[in-house]
Amino acid sequence: MKKLFPLFSILMILTLVLTACKPTSQATPTPAAEEMTLVVWDQFYRDVESNVMDTLNSEFEAAHPGVKIERVVKTLDDLKVTLKLALEQSDGPDVAQVNQGRSDMGAMVQADLLLPLNDYSTQYKWDERFSSSVASRNSFTADGKTFGQGNLYGVSPTAEVVGVYYNKGIFEANGWKVPTTFDEFETLLADIKAKGITPISFGSLDGWNAIHEFSAVQHLLVTPDYINNLVYGVNNVSFDTPENQEAASIMQDWVDKGYFTDGFAGIGYDDSNKMFKAGEGAMTITGSWLAGELINDTDQQFGFFLLPAKYPDKVRMAIGGVGIPFAIRKTSTHADMAAAYLDWMVSPRAAELWAQAGILPAMSLPEGSTIEEGSLFSDTMVAWNTINKENAVGHYIDWTTPTFYDTLVAELQKVFGKTETPAEFTAAVQEDYAAFLAGNK
Amino acid sequence: MNVQHRWPGESRFHGWLYLLPGILIYLVFIFYPILETIRTSFYQWDGFSKNRIFIGFENYINLVGDSQFLLALFNNIKFIIFYTIIPIIIGLFLASLLGRKKLPGMTFFRAGLFLPQILSMVVVGVTWRWIFNPVFGPLNMGLRAIGLDALTHSWLGDFKLAFPSVGSIGTWVEYGFCMVLFLAGMQRISEDFYEAAQLDGANAFQQLIYITLPSLRPELGVALITTIIAALRVFDLVYVTTRGGPGESTLVTGFLVYRTAFLQNNIGYAAAVATVMTIVIFAIALIILRFQTSHQEEA
Repeated sequence: MKKLFPLFSILMILTLVLTACKPTSQATPTPAAEEMTLVVWDQFYRDVESNVMDTLNSEFEAAHPGVKIERVVKTLDDLKVTLKLALEQSDGPDVAQVNQGRSDMGAMVQADLLLPLNDYSTQYKWDERFSSSVASRNSFTADGKTFGQGNLYGVSPTAEVVGVYYNKGIFEANGWKVPTTFDEFETLLADIKAKGITPISFGSLDGWNAIHEFSAVQHLLVTPDYINNLVYGVNNVSFDTPENQEAASIMQDWVDKGYFTDGFAGIGYDDSNKMFKAGEGAMTITGSWLAGELINDTDQQFGFFLLPAKYPDKVRMAIGGVGIPFAIRKTSTHADMAAAYLDWMVSPRAAELWAQAGILPAMSLPEGSTIEEGSLFSDTMVAWNTINKENAVGHYIDWTTPTFYDTLVAELQKVFGKTETPAEFTAAVQEDYAAFLAGNK
Repeated sequence: MNVQHRWPGESRFHGWLYLLPGILIYLVFIFYPILETIRTSFYQWDGFSKNRIFIGFENYINLVGDSQFLLALFNNIKFIIFYTIIPIIIGLFLASLLGRKKLPGMTFFRAGLFLPQILSMVVVGVTWRWIFNPVFGPLNMGLRAIGLDALTHSWLGDFKLAFPSVGSIGTWVEYGFCMVLFLAGMQRISEDFYEAAQLDGANAFQQLIYITLPSLRPELGVALITTIIAALRVFDLVYVTTRGGPGESTLVTGFLVYRTAFLQNNIGYAAAVATVMTIVIFAIALIILRFQTSHQEEA
């Protein structure tokens, strides 16, 4: 398959040229044709994602004669460690995916490594394509200290929402329905457990997905203002709140009742997903990025729903946002072409390709495109549209401080392992947050 | 008489020339980075921006009160039990089984038992992570197959068991190395000692204590130094299996350095941790070497 790919790309280019298929972003003037190589670092290393990138790149090359894309693919871990040094070099990547949050994008803005995209945003009308809530996730003040406002530094091609995947076969065989309230959801958990099936397939050995289990429930209890203030580090909120303690005690309650996979603390994220995909466990709580994996090589059918509201008077939020954005190196000599490339990455054509791969695009699909009714992709699409419409897009709380991820992972393992009470948990995390707020002034 | 004093063989200049490639590699890839690390430890720096602030000993002062660092250091010291003490005991036991008599298939046993030592730690970690998997790992499946369901655990996720589980992987890696070292040493010991001891009525255990062990002092020294260093600088195994969890129960200084430097952008502080660990390791190695050479001089 890999060997066939260059051939496939050439055919694709030929088709494009012959049919004169105009790329959709032609409305804006394309920079003048000149010989140049654009170095692009991305982290779409999984096959499905990588194919989308290759297609987009070759279409971009075809539409911009003289421009060559030199693509470098890395895993996110690898990218995080190497990118900062590479962006300092005069021959570093012109375009790169820069993880959001303080320890990546924030630190790079502080070091003056990224180009502010405000002018390009006006030129290419990105502000019309993305809501302000989406743009703020890729924004920092010029000093890199305040997250969520100031300059725009990146545009994201994909969207993410954390919710509940369920095994349709298991649900149908037992007559279970997608719950519409949190009480129904908990009753469902009890019913599934009573049948001897694992209600929530889960593995916390890698640490980070425990943050999602906790925070998914936390998002039902707090207000959008609170979660924005917390993550953007403004208005002096605290982590040590009754809502966060309640979310932690719900987790401990689910542990006590055996709702998670037996021995979850010793199972990794990928392993737990493999088991879920093979039909073990009725549900799993994770992000829409898994959808692409769940439609290939399996005889099981999966659906997706948002965790239902716990309190009717509160906005039902879900963890979500946009994927890792593309940014431009400040010292790139091809900034205009790089911006044209960014625009290409968030074009309707890109949306179409991501959707075909089963992955949520951050921008709307081209007019007239249809989504298969009842498919897993349409479920995630509905979920994403719902929280956007209700202004209920939450946050990854591990972005909050540079050490928040490590603190949360360690403290949540203690919550799930029941060596710590919810009150001790929120107090320990608040200590991290207070130290950050004090130091960031 | 005017005899020019000369060293035998080629001139000393030639000698240095032969050493040059090695010295260059050492200077560029080991000595210079160590100096840079020490220098960095006196700065507050994120590792890539231009604002590097000299803060003197502040990083070191903060280390003293950093509960995570102290916890990690204590875990490293606890790892010595699994990386050094248990492997040396197992190594001695196996060497005395394999060393004295010619056994059929001896080469097979020797190679097989040594094998873990030559595997990459990442491969070892990934394999053991699978073995310890509570649902489909061979360890729990085996226990269930023989009816010992009560003994199955979530090995790497259990607050009490994660540390000994990761530690026992270290034991599995190191014991073969100790065994081969001791086997080599035993070949040096003359059979006469054992015959004399047998005539005097010494049993196998007494022969081990009074003949084998004292004769193996140089090998014991090497085993101690290498395995203690391995215990103090463990990173890959923890990175692959538990990432320091659950909670902080398997957090070690090596992982702390990685996390602080590359994930939290605090290179200065990470360099201070690394420098302290380098000093600790140097000190321990020196003490063992001192101890060993002083005994050799006595003998």
